[in-house]
Amino acid sequence: MVTRDALMAGAREPEAGTPKAAATSPATHGSDDPAGFLPRDDFDRLFDLLRADGRTVVGPTLADGAIVYAEIAGTADLPDGQSDRQSPGAYRLEPTGRARLFDFAVGPSSWKRYTFPPRLPLTRGRRVDGQVTFRAIELDPPRLAFVGVRACDIAALLVQDRAFSRGPVPDADYVARREAAVVVAVECVSPSDTCFCTSMGTGPEVTGSFDLALTELDEGFVVRPGSDVGRYLAYRIGTRPATADEIARARRDVAGARARMGDPIPTAGLPERLLAAADSPHWAEVAERCLACTNCTLVCPTCFCTSVTQSSDLAGSEAIAGRVWDSCFTLGFARVAGGNFRPRVQDRYRQWLTHKFAGWWEQFGTSGCVGCGRCITWCPVGIDVRAELMVVAGPDGGGIETVEPLAPVNPTPRPAESRPISRVPIISRTVLVSHVRHETPDVVTLHLQTEDASLLTGRPGQFVMAALPGISAPPISISRFHHDGFELTIRAAGAATRALCSLRPGETIGVTGPLGRGWPLEAAYGRDVIVVTGGIGLAPLRPLLDVVLRERERFGAVRLLYGARTPSDRLFADELSELAGRDDLEVHSSVDRAGPEWLGRVGVVTTLLEQASWDGSRAVAFVCGPERMMEATADVLGDLGVARDRIWVTMERHMACGVGLCGHCQLGPSFVCRDGPVFSLGELGRAFGREGW
Amino acid sequence: MLATRTPTPRGAAPRRPRLGVVKFASCDGCQLTLLDLEDQLLDLVAAFDLVEFAEASSHRSSGPFDIVLVEGSISTPEQAEEIIRIRSQATLLVVIGACATAGGIQALRNWRDHEIVRRAVYADPAYVDALATSTPISDHVTVDAELRGCPIDPQQLLELLTALAVGRRPQIPNEAVCLECKRQGTVCVLVARNEPCLGPVTHTGCGAICPAFARGCYGCFGPREAANTGSLVAWFGRDGRPATETAALFSGFTAYARPFRSAIDDLGGPPGPAAPAGDTPSQEVGGDARR
Amino acid sequence: MRARSDDALDALAGTWFGSRLPAHARSRLAPYLRVASYDAGAEILREGEPTRDLSIVRGGRVAIRLRVPERGPTTILTVEPGDIIGWSAIVPPHRATSTVVALLPSELLLIDGEALRAELAADPELAAPVYLSLLEALAHRLTGTRLQLLDLFTVPGAEPW
Repeated sequence: MVTRDALMAGAREPEAGTPKAAATSPATHGSDDPAGFLPRDDFDRLFDLLRADGRTVVGPTLADGAIVYAEIAGTADLPDGQSDRQSPGAYRLEPTGRARLFDFAVGPSSWKRYTFPPRLPLTRGRRVDGQVTFRAIELDPPRLAFVGVRACDIAALLVQDRAFSRGPVPDADYVARREAAVVVAVECVSPSDTCFCTSMGTGPEVTGSFDLALTELDEGFVVRPGSDVGRYLAYRIGTRPATADEIARARRDVAGARARMGDPIPTAGLPERLLAAADSPHWAEVAERCLACTNCTLVCPTCFCTSVTQSSDLAGSEAIAGRVWDSCFTLGFARVAGGNFRPRVQDRYRQWLTHKFAGWWEQFGTSGCVGCGRCITWCPVGIDVRAELMVVAGPDGGGIETVEPLAPVNPTPRPAESRPISRVPIISRTVLVSHVRHETPDVVTLHLQTEDASLLTGRPGQFVMAALPGISAPPISISRFHHDGFELTIRAAGAATRALCSLRPGETIGVTGPLGRGWPLEAAYGRDVIVVTGGIGLAPLRPLLDVVLRERERFGAVRLLYGARTPSDRLFADELSELAGRDDLEVHSSVDRAGPEWLGRVGVVTTLLEQASWDGSRAVAFVCGPERMMEATADVLGDLGVARDRIWVTMERHMACGVGLCGHCQLGPSFVCRDGPVFSLGELGRAFGREGW
Repeated sequence: MLATRTPTPRGAAPRRPRLGVVKFASCDGCQLTLLDLEDQLLDLVAAFDLVEFAEASSHRSSGPFDIVLVEGSISTPEQAEEIIRIRSQATLLVVIGACATAGGIQALRNWRDHEIVRRAVYADPAYVDALATSTPISDHVTVDAELRGCPIDPQQLLELLTALAVGRRPQIPNEAVCLECKRQGTVCVLVARNEPCLGPVTHTGCGAICPAFARGCYGCFGPREAANTGSLVAWFGRDGRPATETAALFSGFTAYARPFRSAIDDLGGPPGPAAPAGDTPSQEVGGDARR
Repeated sequence: MRARSDDALDALAGTWFGSRLPAHARSRLAPYLRVASYDAGAEILREGEPTRDLSIVRGGRVAIRLRVPERGPTTILTVEPGDIIGWSAIVPPHRATSTVVALLPSELLLIDGEALRAELAADPELAAPVYLSLLEALAHRLTGTRLQLLDLFTVPGAEPW
């Protein structure tokens, strides 16, 4: 598991006199340290010490009828004598009649507000006379101390660590904030009716990943250090050893909390059953109640989806790109030019629940839910995920059979991968537009030139995010590689692509990349190659054809099938004619309709495959085009004997970041931007062609 | 974007897009929002050629317009003709505000007998020539974009105009007010106080002002996409809240917008005294201005 | 010396359509087979005219065209070697539903329509596989046409940006 101490390794030399200066030895996880005791009257010493260290202390406090996490000065700001009564769609404060500072569960806010703020400016872009520059906005992570972190919320921090700091590209701001935060946990003794950490295996006991863990008794706190920082704090605030009776009472109170919660969701086998319920009629039933208001995702301490916002002056010469909390329940979340992959609320609800309880296992090796119950309380119409899960994926089957289940995920907890953490934020690099070619009335190829070696190491099938200041950066496939640059073939389908298509030679743009997993050419060595594509889909396959023709002897028979709307919409028409003239490959073009001057095929490109008699068992197929076309192609290729593991497609989804952080491009458990965009049909399974997935 | 639509001779400075602001039945607060953008006003008139804006300038034009901002609902026969003329003069027609997007508060008259109301309100009704309904602009002509609100939000207006000038897609998210409340850390008034709030079904853009002052959203930005009013209405009524109370929640500035309209109809219509049938004007008809 | 009908029979068996017919059906059709050649640009069928033959393209390429007055003649499908044209020879009212033109120099196998209809009416054991093969060929064409109809390569551009 990721611990704060592991994150601290590699931090700069701590300043003398601060708690970090005492962090000289590797961490141990608290449970071996003898417990101390801190009288309630001395509790302010902790706050004073943390503030003296220059930290902003964040903890629970009363505001607007709830207990929220906000900056607090000391004990006087804590919700003394308050508890919370929670049920689906309702939250009420309730005085307890006893002098306790932490007699409640959790409120609408979570610590992600401070580790992963709702709005964050990321990049400053400038565009003057067609020349662009991009600079990262300097991070200014506050030094924080979290007081009152529940076990479920510790689990949530660890879950977000996996999403933000253990992926291939880390979120530099999250890493910096997380690293600089002291975690003072407080064990739950008063769970609410919506809590279910027991089912998710995250609480109520605090067992690790903290600096100090406190359990409240009437007269004070049993204190357990969990790191060198915690030991130092305990020493400086002057805890005395806890008595056996105090320790026993603390344990008993937490055990009482556990007993009160029970085990509402049997989680054994849940991910598999949830994926098997993808076609359940229950999703439509929930959609009748669900408002798609996004409250559940925004109060959830592990949800991490964001969007990129652009703000600029009227000329577009100065722009700031920022990150903002988003949600898979919004309309625009899965939108692409000309369509939306999750138009119905039932698609979005299914996506959220399945991702949270099943997809997360595949992606990050842990469940996404920590059982805090916030989504149940703060749903304006009281939808209870515990109940919904039992109906759609309960252990007795819930009575739901799906025709073709999705491949199950492996719900074995995986340790977080150990990787050095980069602190370098992702930033667009400037490249020169050296040449512009108009391919068809709405398609343009930009020739880009650069000396930046990191931009010249791409593989066929990869893409870049192409940015102009003040305009959202779309993902564009690389359509050819050169020794000093690469080509992007872009269709003007929306504002961003139209702006790219209006560029002139001599201007510059920003690119991030090359990104994604490209075509696996090695899988085709010694085999026949069949390339089926249509429309703009030829662009990501052109670099593949370049390699195949350059190393022609490594492949068997090579066939290219290309479909377009009309003859004038064909991409790279001159190159296609040249290829058709070669005798070491077959080229078949087809259009949807044509005038009398076209002597080539008219009709769907798959007709040739349907009437062919070659043996597909020796072949590897590379397919790119509109999804419906790819589905029809996959069926026909299957009839010819091409194995599903050898049919490779490239998928398109909405991307805001391109590096696996914003969450928009998810397709089942995969991130199209980093696990794809190239996938085999075997990998996609039934996710390929499933409506609203 | 507009620059690519208006090709200019090479070497010439691109022509500024011609911007018009016109008004129908409304309070004028939405067009005032443009003038409220005090810090950006000079940059705006540098970027756009403001050819028609009666409230701000005596320089008038009847078109053509590259962009026209339309405030107000269609309430009279003259307006019904004028909007068609405006549409034919405009490349991009943007409706702004609850009146133009939903018919406004004046659309509450759509549920009543207009004749009776007319005679109850005006001493000499013969001089008043109005349509029986107040309708949004989109009921009459194709609309290219809309800004919701009563009034519209100045930052959204600035974003729309900036996006048009820069060539990006305007960031006017069609999502619930709830996102903004949660981003700001406002405690949900519905969940924590059982205060009825239309936020979950209302289009965002206002900055979630009302819940920040512990009162429920009253839907002045109108319904968002996939507004599940049925579910919210059922929730409001679960503890015996009378249907008229829930109907009142929706019967405001955007009452006539479709899912809100159906919700009101299902709940028995906008609350208030029933308009009597027959042609004798009665002083009991709601809203007698002479009282 | 091989009979002329043997050559035509072999040719039929070598086509995609013909290979899907059982051998006995092919033998029964052989006496009605003729071979015809067309130059590039030659008109094979005209929309609305009676269809004389069910044909199988053996070589070259033919275009199926519909007349769209504002657009001129529009090719909506090409038929490659192996596939059929002139199914209206079997299906009433036996008039061509489109104009068919040879795009490249093409060779066709023709089956006399009237004679074929008589044979099919008289012999159910011949009719069954022939109608089935015809149905399958048209089903293939229909599913292809549906994908063409979806106009998948166009991005709907409803918004002004």
